[in-house]
Amino acid sequence: MNSIFDGKLRVLDISMGWAGPLVGQMFAEMGADVIKVEDTHHFDWWRGSLSMAPPEMQPIERASVFNTANRGKRGVTLDLASARGIEILKRLIEVSDILVENFSPGVMDRLGLGYQSVSAINPRLIMISMPSFGSDGPECNARGYGNTVEAMAGVTGLTGYHDGAGQRYTLSNALGDPVGGLNGVFALMVALRERERTGLGQLIELAQVEALIPFVTEAIVDFQFTGKVPAARGNRHREHAPHGIYRCAGDDNWIALACETDDQWRSLARALEIDDKRFANASARKANEDALDAELSRAIAPLNGEDCVARLRDAGVIAAPVNPASAVIADPQIQSREYFVAIDRAVVGTHLYPGAVARIPDTPLRADTPAPLLGEHNRQVFAETLGMTDDEISELERIGVIGSSPRQYRVAQ
Amino acid sequence: MRYRALSDVRVVDLTHFIAGPYATKLLADMGADVIKVEPVWGEGGRKLRPHRAGVVAERGGLFAFLNLNKIGVTLNLKHDRGRELLAGLLDGADLLIENFAPGTLAALGLAPDELIAKFPKLSVVSISNFGQDGPERDGKLNDLVLFARGGWTFPVGERDREPLTPPGSLAQYVAALYGAIAAMQALAARDLGLGHGQHIDVSILEATVATMIYETVTFQYTGIVRSRAGKRFAVGPFLIVTLKCKDGYAGLHCVTDKQFEGLCDLMGRRELASDPRFNTALNRMLNNDALLEIVEAFFIGRERKWLYREGQRRAIPLVPIPSVAEVLEWEQTRARNYFETIDDPVLGRIRVPGTPLRLTSHRPEASRPAPRLGEHNREIFGQRLGLSETEIETLKRAGTI
Repeated sequence: MNSIFDGKLRVLDISMGWAGPLVGQMFAEMGADVIKVEDTHHFDWWRGSLSMAPPEMQPIERASVFNTANRGKRGVTLDLASARGIEILKRLIEVSDILVENFSPGVMDRLGLGYQSVSAINPRLIMISMPSFGSDGPECNARGYGNTVEAMAGVTGLTGYHDGAGQRYTLSNALGDPVGGLNGVFALMVALRERERTGLGQLIELAQVEALIPFVTEAIVDFQFTGKVPAARGNRHREHAPHGIYRCAGDDNWIALACETDDQWRSLARALEIDDKRFANASARKANEDALDAELSRAIAPLNGEDCVARLRDAGVIAAPVNPASAVIADPQIQSREYFVAIDRAVVGTHLYPGAVARIPDTPLRADTPAPLLGEHNRQVFAETLGMTDDEISELERIGVIGSSPRQYRVAQ
Repeated sequence: MRYRALSDVRVVDLTHFIAGPYATKLLADMGADVIKVEPVWGEGGRKLRPHRAGVVAERGGLFAFLNLNKIGVTLNLKHDRGRELLAGLLDGADLLIENFAPGTLAALGLAPDELIAKFPKLSVVSISNFGQDGPERDGKLNDLVLFARGGWTFPVGERDREPLTPPGSLAQYVAALYGAIAAMQALAARDLGLGHGQHIDVSILEATVATMIYETVTFQYTGIVRSRAGKRFAVGPFLIVTLKCKDGYAGLHCVTDKQFEGLCDLMGRRELASDPRFNTALNRMLNNDALLEIVEAFFIGRERKWLYREGQRRAIPLVPIPSVAEVLEWEQTRARNYFETIDDPVLGRIRVPGTPLRLTSHRPEASRPAPRLGEHNREIFGQRLGLSETEIETLKRAGTI
């Protein structure tokens, strides 16, 4: 046994973007055979998306985010607007254990792929639907993406500077997406275990916004206890001070630090040569936090960030640089554990990708297999998995039900 | 809410604070038999905010949520008898989940590998700040510093100000999800052929970094390190932005040509769609400031509800930015019975998030409140481990339970 599933579990991934594809990617890490199905007309929008880069840098197959979220999958194409395409998809459903979809509510039914239909084909199939706000309810048809899901979960309403006059900010990572995906993986693992007992598949519905709301439970319960909506606290803490981010020498270099005890503060004050009675104890520091931040900003501004963090850590203060992406990859702890993995992917070459988080010694997760090119595994999957002949596959290519070149080029979506 | 899908799974839960307890809550919500083992003075998470005014701190509101559906016992693991009783609980258990500082279990004579050798069916999931090895394994961390180090903070906030940290303990919950998945992975590996349990290592820092794929991979492809873009997610060939409106803020996610045409229509400015400054994604990036100015001026005079309704009518991902109070009252969560009212024995009635996983194989049942300190000592040590009433009393007096 080299991996958890050793190729004995098949996942059919017809989702797009991040939340759904992450589910398939994590099953690929476990050694499942994950088949990603795309339409040559409407292929996964992330395939042509290089977030934050100008459009001329975004030809298909060069998308960092797609190439991360679809690692380890076999890629096939099917024209889902054609009866023949749907028929072949149903044949794949027949031989699969899991079906992952994140279309808008109602789309699967219109394609004739609602749970009733697919479970009739394969009663052992576990299907997961991952709509943004749910598949029912008055606002189920509202369009949601990572950032809008994050807003509706109450996260954005809490994200602002302590003195920011109300302005709210979006997180940097579209958190609703990976959180939706992680919940999806967990749900499927539960359903698979249950299937071992019952022999039956089932439908799992996962509204992405509902997966993220638990993360702000503290604020939700706080409101119920006090009747007041918790304020955005920015970098500050409700009790502790200092607790903030300060500029150091160089261009856009910052460090984050926090003192949670008087001892930590005394070490910090010694390390930075600050001697001020206004900051003698926790309540005094909190009461004079503006002055405290000003004093720390003055003391830290001329220092080299790395040296400063090292000095503070030696003194027992909780501190780290505010890392841009480049520094995250170079973080000594992350490097020493070889968290990032190098992958050579066709078209783009070799880069480092985030590895599998859980370290499982005897059945290790593998996150180092590249994402497929559009339709890369058409022949392999349709021949080996569905038993089609070369002629049949060529015919499908000729009539455009499958293909390996995009029929429509769409930018960044 | 609670399902019975994992009713055959037995978990011994030594976790505290947030990341560990949320991991075991996910299992408990799916019906696993989770025995939460606390020190006799209670785990630190009982003291977490928020607190209800006038209620002595047996627990705060977050503890009441994170420990729903668990059974609670106390054990002093520094006592020989305490460790013996723990071994009794581990005998026949599938999982031990813990988030102590690395090395703590070994120092107590409970090294995970030795436990697995003794109880071959058992897997141990360890969640820790930095992982079980590495030069900074024993370093200090809190949420502010975790977000900063993991890359979440640098791209957020005003260009000319300090980067802005995300709120609360979001990444602890992400790590909890990885922990709960790891627990299920251990069970799957064991039952699909491996035959024995494993010790799994989950680093909260790595779980934090795992969600940063926009940054860590994109920058290698493009050489572009995203920096702060104020109210915008980034300056790119799109407008993803939080905008001030008449009665608060709204979130706009305008990326495709279609969405941009919808936005122009919403503003009654359809001519902008063909304006040479904005007619392509590239032009919308090059003239992002000018575009933002136009959109800002429009939003400031409109109400959130109107923007949400009219925006969504045009298929634009446009939402009002709700406060947590508004999330509680949101029609959509109400219609789907998402929040659950629990009757906490100490804090009274509280509405808390329900489980996001809607399995159709079971009907969800009401959650069981978080346990009082040692609430199930009698039941577990007496009925399950077969201790007599006198033995239990003796252990109590000795401070073992």
